[in-house]
Amino acid sequence: MAYFLELLVNGALTGLMYSLVALGIVLIYKSSGVPNLAQGAMVMLGAYAVWLMASWDVPIYLAVVLGAILMFAFGLLAERLLLRKMVGQPIIMIVMLTLGLEIFLRGFAPGFLGAAPKQIDLGLGLAPIILGDVFINRAYLVGGVIALLLIAASLLFFRTHIGTKLRAVSDDHVSSWSVGISVERAIGISWGLAGLTAVAAGVLWGSVQGVDWTLSALLFPAVAVVILGGLDSILGVFLAGLIVGILGSVVPGYLDQLAGGGTRDVVTSLIILLTIMFRPHGMFGREDIERV
Amino acid sequence: MKRTLKKAAMTAALAVLVGAAPVQAQKEPIKFGLLQDFTAVYTFVTSGYNQGQRDYLTLVNEMGGIDGHPIEVTVVDTGNQPQRGIEAYNRVRRDGAILVDFLSTPVANAMVNRVLEDEVVMLTVMHGRGDASDGETFPFVFPLMAHYWSQAALLVEYIDLYEGGIEGKKIAHVHIDSPFGREPIPVLQELAKQKGFTLRTFPYASPGNEQSATWTEVRRFRPDHVFIWGAGGGQAVSVREAIRNGISPDKILSVVWLAESDMHNVGADIAKGVKRFEATVTGTDTPILQEIMEKVVKAGKSAGDAKEVGNTYYNIGVASMAITVEGARLALKEFGAPLTGDKLRRGIEMIKDFDAQGLIPPVSYSSKDHQGGGFGRVSQWNGKSWEPVSDWHNAYQDLVWEKIRQEAAEFKKGR
Amino acid sequence: MFYRLSGIHHTRYESASQLWPIPADRWQVYALLALALAAPLLVSDLYLTSYLLPWLIMTSAALSLTLLMGIAGQLHFGFAAVMAIGAYTSIHLVRFGLPFELALLGAGLMAALIGGVFGAAALRVKGLYLVMATLAMQYLVDWIIVNVPAISGGAQATLQTPRTTFLFLPLHKDEVRYYVALLWVVLVTLLILNIKRTSFGRALVAVRDKDFAAAVIGINIVRYKLMAFFTSSFLGGVTGAVLAYCFYQAVTPEQFSFNVSIQIVAMVLVGGLGSVLGAYLGAAFVLLVPIVLTNAVAYLAGLGLLSASTNLLAHIPLMVYGGLIIGFLLFEPLGLAKIYDNLRKYFLVWPFRHARS
Repeated sequence: MAYFLELLVNGALTGLMYSLVALGIVLIYKSSGVPNLAQGAMVMLGAYAVWLMASWDVPIYLAVVLGAILMFAFGLLAERLLLRKMVGQPIIMIVMLTLGLEIFLRGFAPGFLGAAPKQIDLGLGLAPIILGDVFINRAYLVGGVIALLLIAASLLFFRTHIGTKLRAVSDDHVSSWSVGISVERAIGISWGLAGLTAVAAGVLWGSVQGVDWTLSALLFPAVAVVILGGLDSILGVFLAGLIVGILGSVVPGYLDQLAGGGTRDVVTSLIILLTIMFRPHGMFGREDIERV
Repeated sequence: MKRTLKKAAMTAALAVLVGAAPVQAQKEPIKFGLLQDFTAVYTFVTSGYNQGQRDYLTLVNEMGGIDGHPIEVTVVDTGNQPQRGIEAYNRVRRDGAILVDFLSTPVANAMVNRVLEDEVVMLTVMHGRGDASDGETFPFVFPLMAHYWSQAALLVEYIDLYEGGIEGKKIAHVHIDSPFGREPIPVLQELAKQKGFTLRTFPYASPGNEQSATWTEVRRFRPDHVFIWGAGGGQAVSVREAIRNGISPDKILSVVWLAESDMHNVGADIAKGVKRFEATVTGTDTPILQEIMEKVVKAGKSAGDAKEVGNTYYNIGVASMAITVEGARLALKEFGAPLTGDKLRRGIEMIKDFDAQGLIPPVSYSSKDHQGGGFGRVSQWNGKSWEPVSDWHNAYQDLVWEKIRQEAAEFKKGR
Repeated sequence: MFYRLSGIHHTRYESASQLWPIPADRWQVYALLALALAAPLLVSDLYLTSYLLPWLIMTSAALSLTLLMGIAGQLHFGFAAVMAIGAYTSIHLVRFGLPFELALLGAGLMAALIGGVFGAAALRVKGLYLVMATLAMQYLVDWIIVNVPAISGGAQATLQTPRTTFLFLPLHKDEVRYYVALLWVVLVTLLILNIKRTSFGRALVAVRDKDFAAAVIGINIVRYKLMAFFTSSFLGGVTGAVLAYCFYQAVTPEQFSFNVSIQIVAMVLVGGLGSVLGAYLGAAFVLLVPIVLTNAVAYLAGLGLLSASTNLLAHIPLMVYGGLIIGFLLFEPLGLAKIYDNLRKYFLVWPFRHARS
């Protein structure tokens, strides 16, 4: 039982940390309908930025703030220079563009800053939090709490003035234009916010696994979270993160010994597949109505 | 300022010929191709390993080359993609390279047929096929040092000899879920039967940045010793998760892929006590490393950051080239110039009790054994550096060779 | 100039509806084919085996995917997995004792059967969701290959291709390998060119443009979507087998990883979605640009024109390659084929700016 509980708790926390990566994808998709497959690489870039400043002896928390500002700017820039020109293109072109951006970033950051794994130390220590026979990973706990806070902040953000505009934009570009909302700026802001969440995700994951290009591989579980939760639902990111994390922890915990191999990627793949087959728009995603 | 100057001096970069030797450079050069992965999965090791190889060759050239023949090196990035490896290989082969080193299992495995046909020596130091130790089946493939089966066997013997016997102990083999991670399992299972210990294997999903579920399970197994079998960032995660789950660092034993940088990633003090297999001496105290420091690094001719010199992967690179150059020297003496792939192969097979002035255990090769006996030792992290805690030895080579022959026979059958 | 429309008057339907109705185009194709046939004599070993050969094979792969993505409009991010099924099937069949020619057929059929399952997702969703579904299937196929040693080839996870012959020619000779690849790419090219002109092809195009609308005009979209996946996977499977036997000679799971799927999609897109010529150009771009860039950077560094650390130099090609993909999508979304098309149209009416079409 304790075994199950531990898998459950740590899985849920890991899942929340996946949500943090997924949150950026959702923010962008919600406002502009662009599936940003470069989010994994943006997480990597954010982690590299923070590591770089920390290596200049900037205190880590200041480095995180500076990194967040930088990545916000990067998001704005990526939208302005790349994505805005792709409006009206088929979805496959946009997907490929974000993949091109991912390839570029995977060359850029390790190329200039070094490919060997680097460390971000948040000063959390390794000692677990022990409850009975259940060990809770302290880094994941912090990560999970921060993820929760950011998800809550995003939910609240959509109730603010700018947030309301963003919601209007996500509903319908043309009618937003017609009532005087700057769609371009709204989409730009959503990219900036995605840059912010990328820093949070990059620092937390970087402190757990080290900073190198493998951070961009977080895209895959994040995609599972996004698909399951619904591409444009922030609440979906939260719940789907929990589900993907828990299933990805509990199922391998019992099945790996039987299957003789790591089954987590299988679980993640099946989550994506089954969601798409049975409920393509995820748990909370908005269903598009298609007209002939 | 000083730093930029140094950098400018280090521009000897990709595919740059390692400086033509000054004096007796009249004799025709010997060409090596280091076609490695600088941008994908193997990045964690390539930069150090490659720098070590090139620095040693620079040293050899500084000293006048091998018997007057300078060594020319081509360095190309393959990005761990077999098709780019094939292109790079064909290119250096056209230019007359007699030795290639891919430092990538997928690329090296895809090249086996080609090097056997073209008679080009291929180094598979700590990568590639384990059964390539069988020189009769793979005459042109040289693992040179203890491969994964020998490493696993050696770790088992280490526990048996130095940690109070292995009988009745519980060993957890925590590995990345890839062919590399699974490779030692058959040998470990066989040893478990023979030596009477309990073995359980715990895979985690590649690339291993998240392993918490796996270690929850490991902890409940209550292992006496844990083998961690991964590479790159995943290794630091493994050590951290192990410690977090209350496994004492000195119960952790690692495959060769655990370097200083991983320890610093975990936290140099926290990781104190972790043990690993090593095939070369670490640090700069051996004569060859001293010479490299003096004639290559201080002269600003090193192929990379001076901080890397003496690190684990750097020294493996140096050792790989030291053995090769020794083989080339013997081949030149015995068969004369010009050196060919076939002569180089026979040269390496003639090496007897060579220890690179203390950098490696004394190794001998033959037309049968391309592994060099499978020697190694265990070293322990003391918070600053790796300290040897056992002598050079090899372990259970009968068993390992049984496995090698079996796999090599499979290979022959499939061709 | 080379292209002239003057004097071309088709008086029979057959001549007007042939594949290349303009003689200049036709001669160009013949000349290229002649060059391709003579290539083993013209270019050195290096260029034959490490540039032309993989280019032709990856073009076949890109063409197979073009059928699906360009003509039928079904996105597929798991095409490498389909090719892997073909490659592994062919090797196991030859080891089992089948002749290579039959093994190729078996590889295609096996890939088509499993690839058809991929297509099941297309019946339910399209666009982005189809991308994700096929991506998930890629991971599943990869996992099965890696985790079943009987498929992937034991502890080393490497399968050497057995020595075999194709139509009595020994397949371990470079020239034979090249001609097999050439034969296959010519067959696939002719097939795709002609599919576009059949009722099957027109039905696929209708499905691509709007599947509901296609259903309204009487096209069975379930059937045609599945047929598109089936045909394309069959071609992909055979291409995978050709890739294994003629190029790699040893198969490891990494040769068919997710990255390769992305590469094939990039080939189709950079070349120009739906264009046959685009598949050739796109495959050349995606396959050869990283190699050429690596060699160019090395050459410049060798001349002392580029001074940077080894690490940075190694990553420059990756950056440029990503940048080029972005650049093409931004500035010429219709791909390399469109650039050629613009040139061709310009010369077609040269010296005039334009003429009645």
